[in-house]
Amino acid sequence: MVEGLEAGAVLADITLPDHNGVPRSLTELAQGDPLVVVFYRGWWCPKEQAWFRSLAGWQPEVEVAYSRIVAISVDPPGELAAFRAGLDARWTFLSDADRQWLHRLELLETTDTVHHPYTPTVLVLHPDLRIHSAYNGYWFWGRPTLEDLRQDLRAVTRVLRPDWQVPR
Amino acid sequence: MSRTWLALLPAVDGSTSDPLAAVPVPPSAQADLHSADGGFLGVLAAWHRPGKPVRDAVLVDAAAIDPHGAPGWVSLLLLPRDRAPLFDDPAVSGALRAVLAGPPADVVSTLVRDSTHFAGAVTVRRDAPAALADDPFARLGRPLLARVGGGLFGRRPAPAGPVIQRYAGQPWPAAGFGP
Repeated sequence: MVEGLEAGAVLADITLPDHNGVPRSLTELAQGDPLVVVFYRGWWCPKEQAWFRSLAGWQPEVEVAYSRIVAISVDPPGELAAFRAGLDARWTFLSDADRQWLHRLELLETTDTVHHPYTPTVLVLHPDLRIHSAYNGYWFWGRPTLEDLRQDLRAVTRVLRPDWQVPR
Repeated sequence: MSRTWLALLPAVDGSTSDPLAAVPVPPSAQADLHSADGGFLGVLAAWHRPGKPVRDAVLVDAAAIDPHGAPGWVSLLLLPRDRAPLFDDPAVSGALRAVLAGPPADVVSTLVRDSTHFAGAVTVRRDAPAALADDPFARLGRPLLARVGGGLFGRRPAPAGPVIQRYAGQPWPAAGFGP
C-alpha cells in the first residue's frame, strides 16, 4: 500500500466535483458515518464494471446501516453520472479529471499509459477520515470482498456508536 | 434542542389578507405561494425553535431553509395524520431511492410529525421546474405544485446517499446522531 494510506493514517479531506459538478468534501459526504472510499480506474475497465456491480448489489445493506460510499476516478462528471445511473448506484461519485489528488496521493497507475488512471484502492475510514483498513486492488483479488467490508464497517461502527451495546 | 418547523398557512378563500396575521410566533423565514396562473395560495413559513409554532407545523431539515434564498418552484406534499404511512413503509423507501438516483433538486427534505410516520416532503427546483412533475414523493399523495417566493428555501448539494434511514427521528436527509 502507498505510504500514508495505511491503517491509522488520516486521509486528506479530498474536495472534488461530484457527478453533478458540485464540489464536495469527504467529511461533508461522510456526515459523521463510517465511509468506504473507492478509487477506481474508470468506467471503461471491465474489472471496475464487475467490482461496481458487486458494490451496487451490496448497496441495500449500506443504505440502512448508516454508512457511506464515495467513488473517485479521473472520469469527468458527465461520465461519472452516466456510469452511476447505469449501475443504479445511489452514492456519490467524485471527479478528479485534473488528476490533482491522484498525484498528491501517489495513486497514479503507471502501467496504464493511455488513461493515466487511479490505481484501484479501497479505504475504509472513520468519520474523521482516519483509515481503518486499506486495500490495494491493482490485482482484482486484492480488493476487499463484501465480507471484508462488512467486517471493517462493523469494527468502525462498534467504536463509533456509543449504544453498540443495547441500552438497558 | 433547536428544531426547524415548516407550515403552510393557506389563503382564506377569496381573500388576499395575510395568513400570518393570526400566527402568534413570527417565522424565521417565509415566502408566498402562487399557482401557475398567479393565484395566491398562501404563505409557507419556517421557524427555528424547540416548540411547535402552529398546530399544523411539521419538522423539516434545517439545511433546507435560507432566509436569503431565491424564488423557485416547490412540490409540497403534506399528508394528514390518517393517511401518513410509517417512515419505514416500502413506498417511502422507494421514493427516497428515487430521489438519490434522480436529477438533484435545489432542496429536498422529508417532513416529520412524530417519531414513526412520514408526514410529507418538500422539493424545490429553480433550473428545471418541469422535473417536479416527476416528484418521487407523488407516489404517496398528491403534492401541491406552486411558485414559491424568495426568502425561504436555499440551495443544497444532492443528498450524499446511499443512506435512506432517518437519524434519531430527524427529517431525511439530515444526518448525525449528535445533539
